[in-house]
Amino acid sequence: MSGRTEGGAVERCRLSLALLLAALCFASPTPAFAHASDRGHVLLLPTGYYVAGGALAVAASFLVLALLPSDFPARFWRRRLPLFAFGDGARATVSLISFAGFAILIAAGLFGSRDPLTNPLPLAIWTLLWVGLVLLQGLFGNLWSWLNPWYGPWRVISRLFGNRKTWRPPAWLGCWPAFALFFAFAWFELIDPAPDDPARLAWAAGLYWLLSFAAMLVFGYRDWSRRGEFLTVFLAMVARFALLERNEGKRNEAWRNEGGRNEGGRLSLCWPGAKLSNAAPLSLSGIAFLLLALSSVSFDGLSKTFFWLGLFGLNPLEFPGRTAMIGIGTFGLVLTLVLLAAAFILAIVLGQHLAGSPHSLGQAAGLLVWSIVPIALAYHVAHYLTALLVDGQYALAALSDPFALGWNLFGTAGIQIEAGVAAGAGSAWSLWNFQAGVIIIGHMLAVLVAHGLAWRLHPVPAGAALSQFPLTLLMIAYTVFGLWLLATPAAG
Amino acid sequence: MTDKNGFFDLSKTGLTRRTALKGLAAGAGLAVAPGFVRYSQAQSSAPIKIGFQSHRTGIGAAYGRWYERTTAAAVKAINEAGGINGRPVEVIIEDDGTDPGRGAEVVGKFATQHKTDIVYGTLFSHVVIGSAPAAGEAKMPYFVVSEGHHVASTKLNRYVFQPGITDVKSQIQAMAPWIAANAGKKVTQIFPDFAFGYDHRDYLPPALKAQGAEVIAQIAIPPTESSFTKYFPQIPAETEVIYHVMVGPAVLTFVKELGEFYGSSRPQLFGFIDSLEATDINSPGLEFLDGSHFWEGSPRYAQPDDSAAQKAYRAAVGIDDNGAAVGDPKDVSTAAHMFGCWETLYVVKKAMEDAGYKGPEDRAKLVEATEALTEFAEGPEHPQGPKTFNGKIHQCFGIQNISKVEGGRLNVVHKTKIEDGLYEPEGDYTTQPL
Repeated sequence: MSGRTEGGAVERCRLSLALLLAALCFASPTPAFAHASDRGHVLLLPTGYYVAGGALAVAASFLVLALLPSDFPARFWRRRLPLFAFGDGARATVSLISFAGFAILIAAGLFGSRDPLTNPLPLAIWTLLWVGLVLLQGLFGNLWSWLNPWYGPWRVISRLFGNRKTWRPPAWLGCWPAFALFFAFAWFELIDPAPDDPARLAWAAGLYWLLSFAAMLVFGYRDWSRRGEFLTVFLAMVARFALLERNEGKRNEAWRNEGGRNEGGRLSLCWPGAKLSNAAPLSLSGIAFLLLALSSVSFDGLSKTFFWLGLFGLNPLEFPGRTAMIGIGTFGLVLTLVLLAAAFILAIVLGQHLAGSPHSLGQAAGLLVWSIVPIALAYHVAHYLTALLVDGQYALAALSDPFALGWNLFGTAGIQIEAGVAAGAGSAWSLWNFQAGVIIIGHMLAVLVAHGLAWRLHPVPAGAALSQFPLTLLMIAYTVFGLWLLATPAAG
Repeated sequence: MTDKNGFFDLSKTGLTRRTALKGLAAGAGLAVAPGFVRYSQAQSSAPIKIGFQSHRTGIGAAYGRWYERTTAAAVKAINEAGGINGRPVEVIIEDDGTDPGRGAEVVGKFATQHKTDIVYGTLFSHVVIGSAPAAGEAKMPYFVVSEGHHVASTKLNRYVFQPGITDVKSQIQAMAPWIAANAGKKVTQIFPDFAFGYDHRDYLPPALKAQGAEVIAQIAIPPTESSFTKYFPQIPAETEVIYHVMVGPAVLTFVKELGEFYGSSRPQLFGFIDSLEATDINSPGLEFLDGSHFWEGSPRYAQPDDSAAQKAYRAAVGIDDNGAAVGDPKDVSTAAHMFGCWETLYVVKKAMEDAGYKGPEDRAKLVEATEALTEFAEGPEHPQGPKTFNGKIHQCFGIQNISKVEGGRLNVVHKTKIEDGLYEPEGDYTTQPL
């Protein structure tokens, strides 16, 4: 895109926004109360030192790894602490229960309270699933393979109508359907004017369930889960980082074809990132998917900063609302993906060039992109922590009375929502330290993962280290960016 | 459950967000509910439906939470005392996302989908301005709790009312006599360079001039600014009072840097608590505010001379003596504004009773009955203080509080008179057709 075109686009955006704002502000004074907010407390913290320290820590971890034997991460990661074995016979039942819960939530979305903090559907989707489950998945492994609301119903249908031969999607399709659907999800979450509206969300989530279920019947559960159902694709990637691993154990024949049983997988404790060490290189669509996962949550943070709003001449203290931001938001969501992808590919190309690698760009990028997983997870946790702490309480209350009929199913309907848990200078200090720690550790682990994977590409230590140098620079830059996002003035 | 004044002490009823918002609409629920009141006078026991246009998400969410709590408490109190015209009140919350575009959609939903009797509760001015045309088009009475001058400016329409909180023009004007008499005659204003700041920029100088004082400098700070030291040399040396109304996340930085600029010897400071609403006055960085003064609509901290009504209101809403949520001391309320929700709902009650309101077909009668109101006496229904109401401009006028920061709390040192904030009406809504 030429500078001229881009500038023109921005100018047009400014013009249309100016017109919109002028239309909104026809009456002269328009006072607004921009809450001093907890970001105000963070602005008083010495965040610059954290940014510098974080960058240094990531750089230092690269240097330390370069000095250690090149197979160090691999040896370190091979260690396991076996725990116990269990079969997944109950998986279909758990999924069916989850499906029933999902159906109730959809009904609540359609017929329950219109208040997004009283209706359990928006809270369950945006807080419990998108924040809570992602965090649990990153810690404990693939819970979603049990909890997803498709597997059980799919098993029931398969049992009733037989395991029909399904149409195999062509290989070139890769996981582009998942990429497209994840983009649509991110757009709905970040750009749509009212993703919290219970009825709107019920329609979106309900239709998505139906679409995915139909696709699973056509393409097979396993294939569509790996290629099209974006939540499963994303959560399986996140689970690669978890501290628990369940080996395959003895599988029955059905597994080969369609999500059959794992008779006795043993659960083991492992180091963070260990499960990434033997990951196969991702296809181009897989690379794009992971980069989108990181860029979308990064854009969520960026889109509220004074910096971003200032670029479009918008007053953050009188934020015009999501309706007025659809064009800018869509542009930003695409822009962050393009910029991140360009920076990532450039880092890989330079690294390959420095190390004189015989591997193809696709192979190197497909393998090294796994190092994005800890960063994406760290961003996710740090970015949505406050929402989890406060909206998680609303979710507990709402689940006890899903239809606002005065029920108290779990005894939590009347709990006091303690918003103070995320308020004030003390909380701001604690939360900031936790968030900064998560971001910095996430990037250090990313350096470790990249190093471990690079060893597979470049068995010679010097080559492995050289190939990682540009990617490490990118990770240092992203550490700085991540901390800046949490520290800079933001609307709301 | 009632105190000696016959007012409901809701602190003892275990009020929760959910129970109050149920509206006690179900007859079976009523029969077993504590404090059951028979809705015997009602021809219809169908609930009065109030559409609450709420800032549940978006930049207004911190205010929205407290507006919701105050609304829930008021509705519970109203229902326990027999509802409106003998009918229970049901609140339907729709989130506007603090978004003017969405706000207009929400008003439409209330009119066509929920068929509410009124729409109520909007705070942010740009949402009010964005939603008002939709309310006018649907002929839907729209009671806002915004504090903006937009209603009183008569530039909206006949269906928009602000009967529960004084508008900002009146608030600013009412500050002038006290500032001129007690703080100083030479005032420098520091304000954010957008509409919120412009109210203060435009309304304060003539009000001060009328009191024999003057604004000697006006310093507009760009809204995206996060460091302020470079602006302070613009403050004239002869300044006796700095009048500040900064808002946004950088307020704490502003105060801290102002403190570093002046050290121990500073002019008098006067501000609007809007800057620090929902923020602990004892936060690090705010030490410099000690001894300074703030406008407060309703006092955040409990005062020694609080009326029984004020005490009961605070207990009902669930705020402690420091203005924070009972049991959650870090959750500081938006006390200076949220009383407007409580009082607005009682104005709606009064107007509906005056109009003999039966249903949406009586909305025009409700508008006229609201316009006919002239004053609200201080008491359980109006715990912030007495008010007058100008039916031509759909705006109420009340007393204002000036509070001093001392000993880590805000102590009210002066209450203005209603007359201090009166101004010439700028138009007349009653000439518009219904």
